[in-house]
Amino acid sequence: MESKQNNYKEILIENWMKKEKRGRVLSKRGQVAIYVMVALVIIAGVIVIYFLYPDVVTGIIGGKETPQTFLKSEIEPSVKDSIEVLSKQGGYENPEGYIMYKGNRVKYLCYTSKYYEQCQVQQPMIRAKFEDELKNMIQLDVETAVDELIRTYEKRGYSVSSAANPTTNVEISSGKINVRIKAPMTFSKETTETFDEFNIEIKSKMYDLLMIATSIIDFESTYGDSETSLYIQYYPDLRIRKIKLGDGSTVYTVEDVITKESFMFASRSLVWPAGYGIYG
Amino acid sequence: MDKKIIICLIAMIYLIGFVSAGETVSMSDVTVCCEKTNSGLYCQDVREEDCSPDANALPTACASTSFCKPGFCFDSVEGTCLDNVPQMVCNNEDGTWKSEMPAQCELGCCVLGDQASFVTLTRCKRLSSMFGLETNYNKNLKDELQCVMSARADEKGACVYVANPADAQPTCKFVTRSECESESSTSAGEEIKEKESSENESVLEEALGGEEKYGGTLLSPSDAEFHAGLLCSAEELGTDCGMTKETICLAGHEEVYFADTCGNPANIYDASKVNDKRYWSEIIDKAESCNPDASNGGSQTCGNCNYILGAVCRESSSTTGRATYGDNVCADLGCEDGKGEEQMHGESWCVSPGADKVGSKYYRHSCVNNEVLSEPCAEFRNEICIENTISTSEGDFTQAACRVNRWQDCTAQKTSEDCTNNDRRDCIWLDGIEYVLMGAAMNGSTIDKNSLGALREQVKAAGGLKEIPRGACVPEHPPGLEFYGETATSTATTEGTATTAKTGDDSLGVCGQANAVCPVKYEKGLIGGEWECVEHCECLPGGELEQKRVQLCKSMGDCGPKTNYIGVSGSGKGYEVKEVENEKKKD
Repeated sequence: MESKQNNYKEILIENWMKKEKRGRVLSKRGQVAIYVMVALVIIAGVIVIYFLYPDVVTGIIGGKETPQTFLKSEIEPSVKDSIEVLSKQGGYENPEGYIMYKGNRVKYLCYTSKYYEQCQVQQPMIRAKFEDELKNMIQLDVETAVDELIRTYEKRGYSVSSAANPTTNVEISSGKINVRIKAPMTFSKETTETFDEFNIEIKSKMYDLLMIATSIIDFESTYGDSETSLYIQYYPDLRIRKIKLGDGSTVYTVEDVITKESFMFASRSLVWPAGYGIYG
Repeated sequence: MDKKIIICLIAMIYLIGFVSAGETVSMSDVTVCCEKTNSGLYCQDVREEDCSPDANALPTACASTSFCKPGFCFDSVEGTCLDNVPQMVCNNEDGTWKSEMPAQCELGCCVLGDQASFVTLTRCKRLSSMFGLETNYNKNLKDELQCVMSARADEKGACVYVANPADAQPTCKFVTRSECESESSTSAGEEIKEKESSENESVLEEALGGEEKYGGTLLSPSDAEFHAGLLCSAEELGTDCGMTKETICLAGHEEVYFADTCGNPANIYDASKVNDKRYWSEIIDKAESCNPDASNGGSQTCGNCNYILGAVCRESSSTTGRATYGDNVCADLGCEDGKGEEQMHGESWCVSPGADKVGSKYYRHSCVNNEVLSEPCAEFRNEICIENTISTSEGDFTQAACRVNRWQDCTAQKTSEDCTNNDRRDCIWLDGIEYVLMGAAMNGSTIDKNSLGALREQVKAAGGLKEIPRGACVPEHPPGLEFYGETATSTATTEGTATTAKTGDDSLGVCGQANAVCPVKYEKGLIGGEWECVEHCECLPGGELEQKRVQLCKSMGDCGPKTNYIGVSGSGKGYEVKEVENEKKKD
């Protein structure tokens, strides 16, 4: 009888131990699952933040910031702001000979004050002028950014030696705008690295827009008007807005529908007076 | 005793200006050719006081001066050529100026891969260097269409080569035969240089010369073999390029293409052929691909976009829709106009809200990239909108354009034939309405002597008063008038000169052409009674002539009783019938 009771106890203890063991296994599995879920949430969060705010993540994890990327992050906003201004003013920062349209001083790239005559081209090299104006607009920001670069690297313990003031060159070509900063400098810490110039490349369709503007000006100066639907045939991503104003001026806005970049300019060509124009 | 009644029609006109100009260069009788105006414009004929003090100014037309003489300006960097550029403007910008078109400005055919452009030689070199291609220029092709066709004729196929001698498997580029041959003969140094200058974004060009795909590797001239009509993914070629479910858009092409594992374009995307080995082996023509006769805009399964019919390859988005495979789709570029009707991409049509109303103008609307653009024709209805429709397989296609309103010499036309000559002018003939009431004028009118003399000459030339056609030639599209510069005044006199223009515009001159003098004869019996109208009674207020005169007046432009473009009527009647007792005769 006693042995039976003992056996029964043993069975109970054995069952209890089995349950205990199984419970521990289950609880370990649960913990692992929770850890995995938390890890997944963190990774997903980092990915989301990375895509939304890539600069923040680069800053937090240290990133691979080089003088090149440092300058790019400093100068790119200035370049984009300047492009925004220039593109609404016919490629001029402070245009002369312009028409006010929707609060913008839109430069006449072709103009005649007379009636019945084609316009005289005011700016034949539109791309070169745009480059020149952009270069002048960002020059101060470039100098500030280069100074900031030197200060930042000196704070990080680098010894930085630089030559004269940086010079900037802007080149607009198909699909991009290149800003070349000639700023020879040497960074020394454990190793020495020398830079002669920094090249900042910004993707842009501005080149195409400027060349189309040149083509429109060619039409305006030759025929006195332009047929905008001709361009649609060859440029599917192009949109040209053409607004004729009361004084005979025409304001053109050439826009890339994919990148949303645009270029606005004005022309006054082959204008007919109201009435017989006797009183001009 | 006669009484004379003057019918005088005076325009009441209202226009609202809504744009302010930064500069208004007013015209004056005495102008100089100014190198630079006060407002910064170059080479304008303006008044001397509008010319910048530092600038050259000569009392002659700019075309006659050395510094402002217009000519051709050649940009030696871009290879573009502009006409009508003042000499000093061109020289200041480092351009090359010539009074006659220079040889550099002559156009020819520039072949850029399977694309072509009708440009100058310098421009061709510039474009070729941008796209990392050899310059292929044909100056003998003088027609743009032929030029485009010549580029498309080049045979394409798989260019198979061994990229690296250590690789067991060759790789492949999908290019033209000439490109394959030129690639294979390119030296190592040139190849690297070409890749560095390559700026084309498309996957095709990436495949042709991109650094990422073939960075640092050079073609082995002896290994490059061209297989016309085959794709790089063709199994028999044994390359490392295989089938995928990815698609790409190519620069200069409207269709969605499958892309192989090497990034080369394959055939046009067709969801039913994604695993079809034959479809991944041979080049299938556009006409033999899926739905060749439709635009395929928004299609999930077919990438045979037709740009002419209103669809083009675009990256998938919520607006374009999504394809079954890949990230690109044929985006529908069509629009819906204001009336809810579908319009095709590139289609344009005329909209004339309240045409002929004061302040109104004509508009050309066009459908571009899924958006309706509104392009106003010139102010003062100096331009009208014309449209024409052609039939296509997809339905009617309408094209519209703004063109000059040729109304100016309508009033000078004396016959219906001259008036309605559409090759010369835009006028209509109003039968039975006369500018000058001939009968009245010839019958003792007090119209001014000069006009009367002219009328007598006209009658004489026509062979009698009855032979003169009775009608008035008026603008088909009455022009708008800029009447709001100064206060318009009018003086009606008994001597018949109905109006005196004292304003800064010529609205009175235009509207005043509808003024007329009509002598009405009254009689009274010898033994009393009332005065009774016996001659030209139709000229009296409320008579049949009054409405005709009003119609004539309104046809002249912004004249007479009209409403403006927002529907507000003028403050006055818009015309006036004046009754003036001229003289008394004792019989």
